[in-house]
Amino acid sequence: MTTTAPSRRLTIARAMSEALAQEMARDPGVLVLGEDIGKLGGVFGTTQGLLDQFGADRVRDTPISETAFIGAAVGLAASGMRPVAELMFVDFFGVCMDAIYNLAAKQSYFSGGKVRCPMVIMTSVGGGYGDAGQHSQCLYATFAHLPGLKVVIPSNARDAKGLMLAAIRDDNPVVFMFHKALQGMGWLGTVQRSITDVPEGDYTTPIGEAAVVRAGTDVTLVGLGLTVHLALDAAASLAKQGVSAEVIDLRTISPLDRATIRASAAKTGRLVVVDDDYLSFGVAAEVIASICEHGGATLKCPPMRIAHPDIPVPFTPVMEHFVLPNAEKIVAAVQAMFEPAA
Amino acid sequence: MKGSTAMTTLEAGVASTATNRSQRLWMYATMVKSRHFEALVKVAYLEGKQPMFNMAKGPIPGEMHLSDGQEPCAVGVCAHLGPRDAVTATHRPHHIAIAKGVDLNAMAAEIFGKQAGLSGGRGGHMHLFDPAVNFACSGIIAQGLGPAVGSALAATLRGSSDIAVAFMGEGAANQGAFHEALNLAAVWRAPVVFVIEDNAYGISVAKRDCTAVESNATRAAGYGMPGVHVAANDPDAVFAAAGEAVSRARAGRGPSLIEIETTRLEGHFMGDAEGYRPPGEVDALKALDPIPAYRARLLSEGFEAEALDRAAQAAVAEVEAAFAFARSAAYPAPEEAFEHVFAGDR
Amino acid sequence: MTEVRVPNDLWDDDSEGAISAWLYEDGDRVEGGAIIAEVMNEKVAFELHAPVSGVLAILSPAEEAVRKGQVVARIAG
Repeated sequence: MTTTAPSRRLTIARAMSEALAQEMARDPGVLVLGEDIGKLGGVFGTTQGLLDQFGADRVRDTPISETAFIGAAVGLAASGMRPVAELMFVDFFGVCMDAIYNLAAKQSYFSGGKVRCPMVIMTSVGGGYGDAGQHSQCLYATFAHLPGLKVVIPSNARDAKGLMLAAIRDDNPVVFMFHKALQGMGWLGTVQRSITDVPEGDYTTPIGEAAVVRAGTDVTLVGLGLTVHLALDAAASLAKQGVSAEVIDLRTISPLDRATIRASAAKTGRLVVVDDDYLSFGVAAEVIASICEHGGATLKCPPMRIAHPDIPVPFTPVMEHFVLPNAEKIVAAVQAMFEPAA
Repeated sequence: MKGSTAMTTLEAGVASTATNRSQRLWMYATMVKSRHFEALVKVAYLEGKQPMFNMAKGPIPGEMHLSDGQEPCAVGVCAHLGPRDAVTATHRPHHIAIAKGVDLNAMAAEIFGKQAGLSGGRGGHMHLFDPAVNFACSGIIAQGLGPAVGSALAATLRGSSDIAVAFMGEGAANQGAFHEALNLAAVWRAPVVFVIEDNAYGISVAKRDCTAVESNATRAAGYGMPGVHVAANDPDAVFAAAGEAVSRARAGRGPSLIEIETTRLEGHFMGDAEGYRPPGEVDALKALDPIPAYRARLLSEGFEAEALDRAAQAAVAEVEAAFAFARSAAYPAPEEAFEHVFAGDR
Repeated sequence: MTEVRVPNDLWDDDSEGAISAWLYEDGDRVEGGAIIAEVMNEKVAFELHAPVSGVLAILSPAEEAVRKGQVVARIAG
């Protein structure tokens, strides 16, 4: 796309803050609530500048009371407002899940479509920096599994702003997951590729559409959030070995864009899914099921999952880095696919 | 039959004459031990994280929540406890673990992620478990309260006078689990003491901006148990309040709530350096340091400086040895990550 | 040629900071006023803005120590 507008790059954190600011300016029904999202601007930088711009009625620091304030968000949504609630770490869902999966997710269904729940729950996911078993989880499948919720996860700043605007405008509950390693907060490390051009104006990224972020012919690598970057790193290595990898960024976990995945698998015939959530009963399995149900004959070899094993996230880096997906594991998996059968 | 709803308040920092000399010396030395432990943790934590603070770097990655200034809460309560009394604590656990008698070498090794750590490096600083002294902690706010009620019930069912203590911050008093656990403890007449360490801030949010009452001790009345407000960050005052609550529990008269106004000297919850503080604030906080204050009181009440110094030096030496142990201990093999997911796994 | 300095009033004391991320690469064209880097001091992130438009030449790589007032880049307008 050619444009005369100047290039302007943002981190995902600043892209999220900008989306919220622009939509709050455009729509007086939007408000933000959660822990430390006011004065602090969010522990992960998601609400920078909002309290100063919009005031305490619309930017509310809450007590440590997730059940209450996420339940309150359901009520705000039912009353015609568009709340954005931050659940600081996805790992905290245990204290408020009823409001999410039994209330927010079922408002439309229980009311025969008469009551809507246009709310966004934004929540941090992911580990790799030593935060141990209760602060490093991804839980993509936990949320994607439950009917009535949409679940999205951007891999870059441009999609982060677009998905946030789409999520707020969606009349359904959207769980907006952001990976801590991609926020652009220096204290969590920086993945340079997540910092991208972000249009200053209004735009949305469609929910339910994956993106082919690297075209290729020999193998399809599917990723979400951080694992998109692992897949792109692996693809660069594989290119040097003459293997052309196509990389898909899911962007939306649920509803899953099965068509894009199937088209790519049909083209390349080989599939590796990279998922930093727990292995079993997860997103990777769902991607593979989408292919197998749809003929299955399109694959030249069995598909592979690279995921966090079915163990709590260990604290000590020696263990944590051993179990996490990384580019080397992806490259090894693809290389094995091309080895002649023994 | 539910317990008494009478509320008692202990509003002064009055030294309790019921405390004997050896207990007070233990409290002083244990506070010194805890403070020195945090000082060495801070040094190790900041290694590799300068000039740019990247949480993943250095010998202690991840988050760190130091307890400097809150030592009186730990020693004043734990002075009344034995190894069979259960204690649950939070993401800011070190002072409580030390006061409870957790194996110092294994605790330090766990924080460094070594194989000799309490869980072989799997848990880290927020997930310290030592069943030998019945201590456990974890990082989700208020979720240690339910287990404390259960441990207390178990003590009752086995016919013992053992009790349980649940430590929490003041922010936890706004979490659903707090209200459920207090109610359940009262209904079961469980021998549990709930201890709130009120350091006035939950990350960036002040207590007054998120709590409907001025003192969480008043909430105890809503759950049929005594609520005590300790206004001074003072081991003797905590000891006195805790003594009453512990005796009550051991005598089968049910749970209590204690709220202690304490001071968190480190300020920021991530444990980084304090360069952002406005001038004068660091000095003002130092004036509130409970350890030199307690030392001064003990001296004024006839303790000998040499005795205090000996106890302090022994405490410091124990911590230095623990850190030397932890730093030189081996890391686990990566495959050990797969052990102990289930009991009987290895 | 315009110097890009860490502003002297960006944080309170004289402690070191570091650039946690350059949002552009050496040789990229940047617009005056755009955020071109994130600078961290004591775990707080600050924005560094381009004073003029032009081609960026980075002098201080990410994660290296910087002080207030230090020249961290140049922009050739």
